[in-house]
Formats: sequence, C-alpha cells, structure tokens
Amino acid sequence: MADNKIYWSGLEELDRTPEFEQLESQEFPAERPVDEFLADDRLQRANTGRRDFLKFMGFSVTAATLAACETPVVKSIPYTNKPEEITPGVANYYASTYYDGHDYVDVLVKTREGRPIFVKSNTETGYGRVNARVNASVLGLYDSARLQAPQLNGEATDWTTLDGAVQKGLSGAGRKVLLTGTVMSPSHSRAIAALAEATGVEHVQCDSISYGAIVEAAEKDFGRRVFPSYDFANAKTVVSLNADFLGTWGDTVWYTTEWAKTRRPEDGAMSVLHAFESGMSLTGSNADRRTRVKPSQQGNVAAALLNEINGQGHVAGLDEAILAGVKAAAADLKAAGANGLVVAGDNDVATQCIVNAINVALGALGTTVNINEKAALHQGDDAAFATLVEDMKAGRVSALIVDGTNPSYHAVDAAAFNAGLDKVAFSVSTALFADETASRCTAIAPNHHWLEAWNDLQIDPERIDIAQPTIQPLYDTRHATESLLAWAGQTVDAYTFLRRTHNAAYSAEAMYTDQDWNTGVHNGFLAVATPEKVAAAYSGSALAGALAAVKGRKGGGFELDLYRKVTMGDGQQAGNPMLQETPDPITKTTWDNYVTMARADMEAMGLNTYIAEKDPASVVKVTVNGTSIELPAFPQPGQLPGTVGIALGYGRGAGNEAIGKAAYQVGEGGDHLADAEGNLVPIGKNAFGLAGSVEDLPAFSAYDVTVQATGETHPLACTQLHHTIMGRDSVVKETTLDGYLAEADAKRGDASWNRVIGLNVHDDINGDGEINALDKKAAGEFDLWHEHAVDGVGHRWGMAIDLTSCIGCSACVTACHIENNVPVVGKDEVRRHRDMHWMRIDRYYASDWSKERGAEEGLGVISTYAKMEEPGANPQTVHMPMMCQHCNHAPCETVCPVAATTHSNEGVNQMTYNRCIGTRYCANNCPFKVRRFNWFHYPGYDKFQNLNPAQDAIQRMVLNPDVVVRSRGVMEKCSLCVQRTQGAKLEAKKAGTPLEDGSAITACAEACPTNAITFGDLNDTSSEVRATYDNNRTYHALEEIGVQPNVAYLTKVRNTPNA
Amino acid sequence: MQQEAAIREPLILGNKSYKDITDDVVGPIQGAAPLGWKVMITISSMVAFYGVGCILYLIGTGIGVWGLNKTVGWAWDITNFVWWVGIGHAGTLISAVLLLFRQKWRMAINRSAEAMTIFAVIMAAVFPGIHMGRIWVSYWVLPLPNQFGSLWVNFNSPLLWDVFAISTYFSVSLVFWYIGLIPDFATIRDRMTKPLQKKIYSILSFGWSGRAKNWTRFEEVSLVLAGIATPLVFSVHSIVSMDFATSVIPGWHTTIFPPYFVSGAVFSGFAMVQTLLLIMRKAMHLENYIHTKHVEYMNIVIIVTGSIVGVAYLTELFISWYSGVEYESYAFINRFSGPYSMSYWAMMTCNVISPQLFWIKKIRRSLVATFILSIVVNIGMWFERYVIILTSLHRDYVPSSWSEFNATSIDVGVFIGTLGIFFTLFLLFARFFPVLALNELKTILKSSGEEQKRLQADAKSNTNA
Repeated sequence: MADNKIYWSGLEELDRTPEFEQLESQEFPAERPVDEFLADDRLQRANTGRRDFLKFMGFSVTAATLAACETPVVKSIPYTNKPEEITPGVANYYASTYYDGHDYVDVLVKTREGRPIFVKSNTETGYGRVNARVNASVLGLYDSARLQAPQLNGEATDWTTLDGAVQKGLSGAGRKVLLTGTVMSPSHSRAIAALAEATGVEHVQCDSISYGAIVEAAEKDFGRRVFPSYDFANAKTVVSLNADFLGTWGDTVWYTTEWAKTRRPEDGAMSVLHAFESGMSLTGSNADRRTRVKPSQQGNVAAALLNEINGQGHVAGLDEAILAGVKAAAADLKAAGANGLVVAGDNDVATQCIVNAINVALGALGTTVNINEKAALHQGDDAAFATLVEDMKAGRVSALIVDGTNPSYHAVDAAAFNAGLDKVAFSVSTALFADETASRCTAIAPNHHWLEAWNDLQIDPERIDIAQPTIQPLYDTRHATESLLAWAGQTVDAYTFLRRTHNAAYSAEAMYTDQDWNTGVHNGFLAVATPEKVAAAYSGSALAGALAAVKGRKGGGFELDLYRKVTMGDGQQAGNPMLQETPDPITKTTWDNYVTMARADMEAMGLNTYIAEKDPASVVKVTVNGTSIELPAFPQPGQLPGTVGIALGYGRGAGNEAIGKAAYQVGEGGDHLADAEGNLVPIGKNAFGLAGSVEDLPAFSAYDVTVQATGETHPLACTQLHHTIMGRDSVVKETTLDGYLAEADAKRGDASWNRVIGLNVHDDINGDGEINALDKKAAGEFDLWHEHAVDGVGHRWGMAIDLTSCIGCSACVTACHIENNVPVVGKDEVRRHRDMHWMRIDRYYASDWSKERGAEEGLGVISTYAKMEEPGANPQTVHMPMMCQHCNHAPCETVCPVAATTHSNEGVNQMTYNRCIGTRYCANNCPFKVRRFNWFHYPGYDKFQNLNPAQDAIQRMVLNPDVVVRSRGVMEKCSLCVQRTQGAKLEAKKAGTPLEDGSAITACAEACPTNAITFGDLNDTSSEVRATYDNNRTYHALEEIGVQPNVAYLTKVRNTPNA
Repeated sequence: MQQEAAIREPLILGNKSYKDITDDVVGPIQGAAPLGWKVMITISSMVAFYGVGCILYLIGTGIGVWGLNKTVGWAWDITNFVWWVGIGHAGTLISAVLLLFRQKWRMAINRSAEAMTIFAVIMAAVFPGIHMGRIWVSYWVLPLPNQFGSLWVNFNSPLLWDVFAISTYFSVSLVFWYIGLIPDFATIRDRMTKPLQKKIYSILSFGWSGRAKNWTRFEEVSLVLAGIATPLVFSVHSIVSMDFATSVIPGWHTTIFPPYFVSGAVFSGFAMVQTLLLIMRKAMHLENYIHTKHVEYMNIVIIVTGSIVGVAYLTELFISWYSGVEYESYAFINRFSGPYSMSYWAMMTCNVISPQLFWIKKIRRSLVATFILSIVVNIGMWFERYVIILTSLHRDYVPSSWSEFNATSIDVGVFIGTLGIFFTLFLLFARFFPVLALNELKTILKSSGEEQKRLQADAKSNTNA
C-alpha cells in the first residue's frame, strides 16, 4: 500500500513562499551575468585589477615579512669630493721605499679605497725584492697600540705644548744628543744639521744590530768608514763565515736577488756557496758545502782560508773536518779569482780584517766587493754610543732625543742605558709606540708610520729613492723630520723641506709642475749625478795584528752564537701577528724563541728532543759571564755539538710597554698571560744582554757559556714535526750541477735526475720474458678519468717552482697570508698543528740513512725507516714551497658530497666557501695536505682576540676586500690568487687585447725575491710558465698517483761535487 | 607442525606453557621497575646528558674543540661512526638473514638485536652530522630541489652514498623491527589493566586482532622485508668502506675493504649482542630462553667473521708489500711499527687472537668468558677503525705534513656520551617493550622446547620398549 507522505526540505517549500518558488524556477541563478559584470565600467575605473591586487597582496606580505627580519645595517658614506684617482673596487699602486734600519727595498704599495693593504717589490727600479719582514710591515700601520697623540710625562698633550717642552729641554747646559739608527735620508740629515746648528745637539748613530767591525775594518784597511757593497751577481764563489746574507745579514734583500741570478743551471754554470757556521742559518741551509765551525774558530777559519789562498794566514785550532771545508772553499775561491767573495758575519774587527785581506788577495775589490765612497748602510758608531751612555750615567747629558731607535731594548747593556736615561733631565722619543725607550722618556713625539709619510732615502749614490704617503696619517702624529725642524725653531712641513732638499728653489706654487719630481714620485726614485768613483787602496797594515788576535782564541764548554730569525729580524715588528706566525724557515717554529742545540748535546743532558703538541721542549739555562737566560731547547740538525744559538729580536715589551697585543703570550682561552705581578709575558726572552762587548762592539757571540737543564718544560709550536724526506723521490728530486750538465739536453722524463716514475704491472713491459718487479709502466699512462678540457682551451693557469732557486725565505708565505686574509691562529693552535697557511715551505733535511744503506748494512726495513727519520748531523737541506697543486684529476673534488670544491675551466681547483658543509673529506684525501679547515670562528672567537687582525677594529682595515673572510666550519686553500687572475682578465677585456703574460701574477710569485715561482697561462705558448713547464727539470710531485697537478716543480740542482 | 630431532638441544628450557612465555615477557613490563634498572638508567642518562652537553659545546664553538688538525681531519668522529654502524649490523642480519635461513634460535635474540641495531644506527648517524663544520646546512647532502640555482649534490662522493645507505638501512630496519613488535604489543595490550597503558599499547599495536589474516600478512611482510633487508646488511658497510676505499690515501685505498668491513661489522655486532643479552638474561630472568646454545651459536658466528677479518688484515699487509708501492708499504709498516703501533697490536690481539679462543668448546659455552671476550672484541673493533683512519692519515704522502693526533676531553666526552644515549635507549626498550619476540617464540615451543624434547625422548623409549 502506497504511503503518500510528503517530504519537504524546509518550511519555505512546505509553505510554497514566493521567494521559494522564484528560486525553484531558477536552478542556476544568474543574478549578475558575467557579461553584465564585466560591462560595469566602474571596474574599468578601478586602477587595481584582480591580478594586480594579488600581486600587491603578495608583495605586501613579503615586504612585511622582510621588514620584520632584522638585517644588519651597513652604512657606506660616499665621497663628498671623489678623488680623481680612486674608483671603489679598483686598486691603486704607489711607488715608495721601505727602510727600517736593516732592510731597504723599493716597493709598490697597493691601496684600495685609500687604504694601503699590500706591499710588493718595485721591480722596475732593479733594487731588491721584498722579504717577509717588509711585506708584513703593512700590518704595523693599523696597529691599535700605536700612539695616537704626542705625550708629555706619560699624558697626551698637543704639539705646541710638546714643542715648548722640548725646546726648553734643549736649552739646558751639558751634552745634548740626538740618538738615531743609521740615517739614510738626505732630508732628515739636513734637519739634523739644522737642529745641531740651532741647539748644539750632537748626532750619534747606533744600530740595533751593529756592523761596527766591518765598518772599522774598512777604515783600517781602506781608510773609509763605510759598509762595503757586495755584488753577489758577479760572484762565482761565495764563502760565508757566519754571514746569513740570504736571511738577515747586511743588505739582505739585494744580496738574495743578485745571488739567485748566479744559480741557474740552464746557464751552464752556477756559483758555489760555502758556509762556515755553528748553527743552521738560512744561508747555511742553501750552501753547497756547509762546514760546522765554533764561533771561536771563525777567525781562524778566515786565517786558514787566507793561508790557502796566498800563504799569509795560518792554520791554528781547526780540526780535519773544518780544514777539509776550508781547502774546498779556498780551491773554489782561487778558481773564481776576482769573482770570489768572502763575507763574514762576526762583529769582530780582526776577522773582518782577515776577510778584507782574502778579498783583496782574490782581486775581488771592484768586482764583488766595492768600498763605497759614501757611507750608506750601517753607520752606527758603537764607541760614540758607549761614550754617550757613560756621559748619561755621569749626568753630563741634559737632553736626549731618541729618533727611530730603541736602545732600552737592544743595547747590550740596556740597564746601563736605562740608568743613564733616568739621569737625563729631558728626553724625547719619536717612536710610533710607547716602546721600551719611549716609555722611559719625558716626552714622545710620535712619528708617522712609513706608509703615511714622505721620505727620501739614498742607498745608491746614483739615486734618491722616494717614499710617498699612501694614506692620511691615522692619528695625531708628526713626521720626525718636522719634529726636529720644529725643535730647531723652523716651522716648515716635512714635504716642503724634503722638496727643498732636492730643489732649493721649490715653492708651494710649483708643487705639481716639476716634471722631474713627478716622474720621480711615479717611478719611486730620482736619478742624481753619478759621483766619480775613486778606487779604494788597500793598506794591509792591520792584517798582522788581526792574525795574531784570532790565533789564540779558545772556546769553553759551550759556545754561543746570537743570530736573527728571518721572520723577526731585530724585533722591531714583535707586535706583528703575521710575522710571529710565519714559521722560521729552518726550525719551522712559530711564536717563540729558543736555544738551538745539537741533538747529541741534548741527549747527553737528558733533554727532550722530540717536540710536538704534547711533548714540550725542555727549558735550559744559558749563562754568559754571569748573565743568564732561560729558554726552551730546540734540537737543531746541523748544529755543531758544543755550540748553542739564540735568536735576537724576542722578549720585546718586557716592561709591559704598549707595543701591540700580539707581542705578548696568550693563554689557551685567548687572554694575555700574566706573571705573578700581573705583568704581561713577552714572547721569548731578550738575548741582546748576552751579546757582550769587545772594545765597545757588541760581539753577538760568546766563547764560553754554560748550559744547564732546569727541569722545566715549555711548549713550542712547530708547523713541521717530521724533518726528512724518507727517501720519497717523487716528492723532491735533486741532482748536482755535474749530474745536471751531463744530461742537460735530455728530454723531460729521461734524465736520471728526473725520470718518469713507473708503476708495476702484470705485463711483460720490458720484454725480458718474465713478469716481475722490473715491469713498469709510466705513471702518466694510467688513467681512469675523463680529461678536463683545459689544454689549449682558454686560459689554463699554472705554476712552476724552481727548487734550485727557492731559498726558503718565506716572503711568499707572508705575501699569501696578507693577500688572502688567511687567519692568524696563534701559538696554541699552531702547536695543535692547525696553522692556516695556504702557502707553506716544506723544509727537509737529508738523512744519513737510506733504504739502500739499510739493505747494505743488513738492517731490517723497520729499523731502516726509523733511522731515516733522523736528519744527518750536518744535513743538506731542501726548501719546497707547497700549496694547492690544482690537480686536473683532483682527489678532493670527487669526494665532496656537496660539490663545494670543483674544477674551473681554467684549470684551477676552486673552493666555494658558501657551499662547504665542512666534512673535511677533501682535506683527508689531499695527497699534499694543503687544505685548511676553519676550526673556529677566527674573526670572532675569543681565543683569537689578541692576535687575529680581523678581530681588531683598526687592524681589520688591512684585510683584502677582494677576498672573503671565511667563516667557521668551511675548508679553504690556495686559489692561485683567483681575484688577481680575474682582475687581469677584466683589464684585458676592457683594453680589448689578449691577456699579456705577467699581467696576472699570484702574490707568492710576485713576492719571491729569487724568481723561483713562475705563474701564468699554460695555454699561452709564449708564456714564461709554459717555457718553464717544458724544461727538462720539471716534474710533478707525487706523479705516480696520477692527480695531474697544474703546479710543477723543477729539480733542485746543487753545485756540490759528485761525492 | 615442524618436527625436530630429539637430540638437538632444546631452545626453550623448562616446562613452559604459552602462558608462561607471555608471563615471562610481559610480567616485567607490568610490574614496578626494579632497583637495578633505576640505577642503571640514572647512570646512563647522566652520561647521555654529559655527551649531549659536549655535542652542544662542539656545535657552539667549532670542530676545533676536538683534537683534529690539518693532517688528521677525521679521527674519533668517524671511528665512532663506523664502529656504531658496524654494531648496527647484527640485528638485521639476525632477523633477516637468519629468518630466510629459518634459524629458529634467532627468535630468542632478534628483538633485542634489532633494537640494538636501531639505537646503534641512531648513534652512528650522530657522527656524520656533528663532524660537519656547519651542521646547520647538513641538509645540503640531500638531493633536494633548491633555489640556489642548479646546485646539486655530487654523486661521485662516497660520503653521499653513505647518506643514502645509512638512511635506507635505518628506515628498513626500523620498519622491520616494528612489524615484528606489533603482535607482541597486542599481547601486552590485552594484558594491561591500567587504562592509559592499555591505550598506549593499543595504539602501538595498530589494532592487531590476532586473526589468521593478520598472521598471514605478518608473515608475508616479514618475508618481504627480510628480502629487502638482506642486501642492505651487505651494502651499508660496503658503502661505508668506500669512504676509504675510493680515496688516494695509502691504507685507505684498498679494494678488499667492502667484504672486510662487512665481516668486521657482523663480528662486532654479534659481540655487542652478546654483551647486551648476557646482562639482560640475568637481569630479566630470561635464562630459559637465552642460554648456552644461543651463546654458542653466536660465538660460532664470531669465530667465522673474526677469522675473515684476520685474513683481511694479513692480506692487506701482503698486498702492501707486493704492490711495490713505496707509500703503500710504508703506510702498513708504520701501522705496526709507528707511533700508533699500540693501537694496531691492540686491534690484532682483540680481533684476531681473542676470538680464536672460541674454538675451545668450554670457552665457547662459557657465559662469563663470552661476556668478557665480547667486550674485548668490541674494543678491538673500535681500534680497527681508529687504526685504519688515524694511522693512514697521520703519515701519508708528504712527510712535512706528518702529524699526530691527541684526543681532547670533548672527543672522549662525545663518544662516552653516545654510549650513554645508547644504553639509555636500550634500557627504556628493555623496560617497556617486549624484549623477546614472544609470539614467534610460541611457534617453536612445541618443536624446540625442552618439555617437547623430553616427550619425544619418552615416546622414543616407549616405542623401543
């Protein structure tokens, strides 16, 4: 039965309301048809369409979101008047001259946006190349410890008050003395003369490192009080008697460059270098024959040499080994004749007189030794200084002006000088820092940094070198010349005064119109009339006395040689963290001073001879004439048993002077260490006090010292723990000159000293009918990889490093450090083997043992390897610069999970810091171990607050804006100065010319004083690096692993006779 | 029902009924926590917190808090990683491979072994993460589409394969383990009386009803997962070994590594299972389920894999000499005679010599000896990785860069910390999870139970009589 139920969905339906009926009839209501909607012209009037509305909406939301995030505000202020020559992002170079009392170099200063950031050689003047000390000196400009205003009685003052005080001080009775280092500036000398005339001030020159004996010997023998100029480029045989001319001695930068010119095996001949020394110096490490001699025997070695050459000398107190060395040296000297050269480093008049006699006997006068007419370098007068100290102590000196020298630190008897200084009524210093001397003076009139000042300097009689400011003075400082003139009562600015030195008619109106001057400033020097050369006549009268003086010399239990390190020099840059962190080229130790000792002596005394992270050095006490010094002992291969060496230049700021944060020891947390009295602890100890004086001349050696173990230990931070090459011929290849010449025409890969490395295969390669260890296939024939298409396509950057020329001076290390903003990490991190150097110099000593010798003597392989880890007693040394080899088949590139390190189409292995996640897999897989990991946030972490330039508000101005400062947790390494190659490419592109060879050059290649590093485009068939690559001495390190580097080495050739 | 020879040693001792098994496994979960458990979890969680503190300090400060340096870029971090991954091998091997081979004895140990695997892999995964200089961008190792342009991961890098291998292994192991747990969780759920616990276990058991259909699917899924997991057992450590094998560093660059690493992993994994189970059977009174026979079986695996590892060590030495490559031969001479030779000889003693003691039946069946040797083996396996990583790195090609490695307190702290986290997790597992696969065990009670064996023997003697 049907049930007629009515279903309704709402009361409206039930009631059938009109609204419902209307709706029911329109199933699809179209109250506003689309056409009608679109036809509404009000829509057209609205200027926001639907899509625009959505766009605006999206934009507003994004903008609101972004605005909510806090972004760091970086304010950049535009130039009000933009200097014509400054374009932001483009570097300017200015010619200048560096002189610090020892090193004298013509330089180019790179500035960016008005900030000097890099110092490189001005190769166009032909005078010297920068070394590590010079190119690191740019950091000193930004040292926040520099004096920011003149000081009077320890308080900041203004210049007028200061000048008043000085003039009052100079008006007193008694001696008034101006104490300087060697003044090489004609203008400064003129100012000194003006001051002397106005106030009666006497001028005394005193060098931190005295060369008084050489000057005095020259006076005795030649009648001229000058430091001779040595022409190493003319020398065929050089004999160095403890003169580290490649590292620290004399006019080092010039000697190094010139000497290197004589060391090219491709020329068919090389000069030969004999070294006689007790400890291992940089020169000794590069010597073809090195003979170990005690300091007390140096004079007799000279006498024996003379005896060999012309029979005038004598043979006394020398053993067989030394005599053999003397005979060999004499034979080479005789062969070289007038092209022989003997230099002696001892500050001992007798030795220097004998050396003069040898050079004269060789006929070297005028070829390799020139006795200048005019004094230039090293004019310090130690006798005058001694008299001054006596007078000061006796109260006879009423006023003392100390200008550019720091005797409270480097005087042999600093205590006497200080006692005297306390008695001087008025004293003023022109130091940049309140250093040891300045902080004891009544007033300080801070000088400009050399990069802030005009200067003229003259080392060559034919030339005046100009130093020009590259930045406005950072602080309220004043040119020392101007200060002297002010005290002389002349109100003239240093620049005008300097111009008038060279052109008396100079006026301010003619400032820019003197073309000679403008050219001179541009080029870095002014040529002056060549003075007539008058040959020096040798008298020889002092020889007999000298021979007698040296004959009876005898040493005691231990003998001491005080040397200088290539990095620290005389210590004036002790506050420079980059120099402190640059490893000593010989010991590879950073941030410290130590006593170098022979291993045998150390073992006899029970001292630790293995120094590493957890193995601190044993501290010894060295006593000289009652003065003692306690320093860690360092086992130095090549050190003669019975001798010890201590570097000068350490222990700066022992009285808490403000000479820079990095000059003091920091603890593991990064805070400065303090001693019991709360004083900061200097790095190392000051050894000047041990020098002793002989007739007022500092001796820098002592013949009878005692060395005692103290039982204490001190950690040392060495960058290299292992010192021998372990017979790994594929890392370092070397030969002798004779060996080289015998196969000079061999094809690359054929000569016995550069044979292609073969790998064993299961194939009868040599065709002797059996498969054995003799079946080898050349390493280059194995390849698993696709070639990178870099050969002949575009640029392919490459580098060649000549191990023959490399002397290990480390100029490249500091240049790279500064150019690439490489972090300074401090002693504690270096001790943990975490130095960050992109460029390092591996130093290997030869061992007396080899696998062959082990086999001959029936020693097992384990014992042989253990013996091979020990350097020989007087080892030969190899310096091998090592940086990223930019392998074409780079092991690092394949293992990175995120492709942060890749190969460029120009053959460069690139590191993308932004992409790096820090697995360190690449570093592990690098056969050369050149990759460096950012273990901490170096620019911000407290541990580095007192040493990393990036953490100092002022010092960070030295950072290169072209190179990013890396953050924590990323890998970094040598980029072959990609910022420079890119820059050069851009320049070439703008000029519309092909890239010229030499226009792109890496910082290391540019800094190398011996041209050991060649860089360029391997695809440019005319480039220098291409030619070097094709040299038959060229090889790739670790060729057998097939990584195909773009960096090549040239076999080292020593000029030693075949044994 | 499957029959088994009466002379085979029984796998379940005592006269157990199904209910006894349930009681033995679920009882401890229902009861209050014993004092010993509380003491242990307090200690291990304190160690875990210390470890977490060390890790946070590491992440906050930089990798420099470890003792690594410019030459030795990996040391304890990757040693610990490989060690933990190795330990994480036994569980899946036991549950997957032994399942496929129908080894019934696995049922007593597979649950805990798998839990151990999961926790060990978690610990292993910590290290590749925290060893990165910038852990905050660690997701870049995943091939994710990104807005950085066309940036992609580097498929050449073994480290990337590692990421895939470990994550796959972890996921499969976790699923496999969890599938096995479902019926057991259901059993617990059914016995729980407190509502909250009942709720939790009922969620964990995924609505298991115990119907035949459930069981069929369970068995099918187990078999499929076993099939997937079995190749993973071999692939994971092979790939981990390629981190080293594909490099150019002498001592790493070795084609023998994949099989050598896999057997080493099984070796250490079984040793860790022994260590954990010997404690657990005592603490949780599971002597009837895990007993001498199980221990003996595992010891046999240890002898076999230990011997393979020993052969691998000797092969490496031989090849280093036979290759005629100077660097290769020095790397191995340095291993056994250089500054870290102590580690090498520790490795040799612990891994090659000590497991040979298991040839002696008395030792093989001695629980005390097994416990001691299992710890010795794991110490040895830690040293093996340390030796491979450190001695190869610290003296490789260029002697100027030869270095040493000195562990810092943070190196030690992080390692100890992961042990703490591992044991904390394992203790939590032992307290709240069914430590034996109780439902699976019930399937063998009638074939391999002691009572059954007795009945079989009786029946036999009756027929004989």
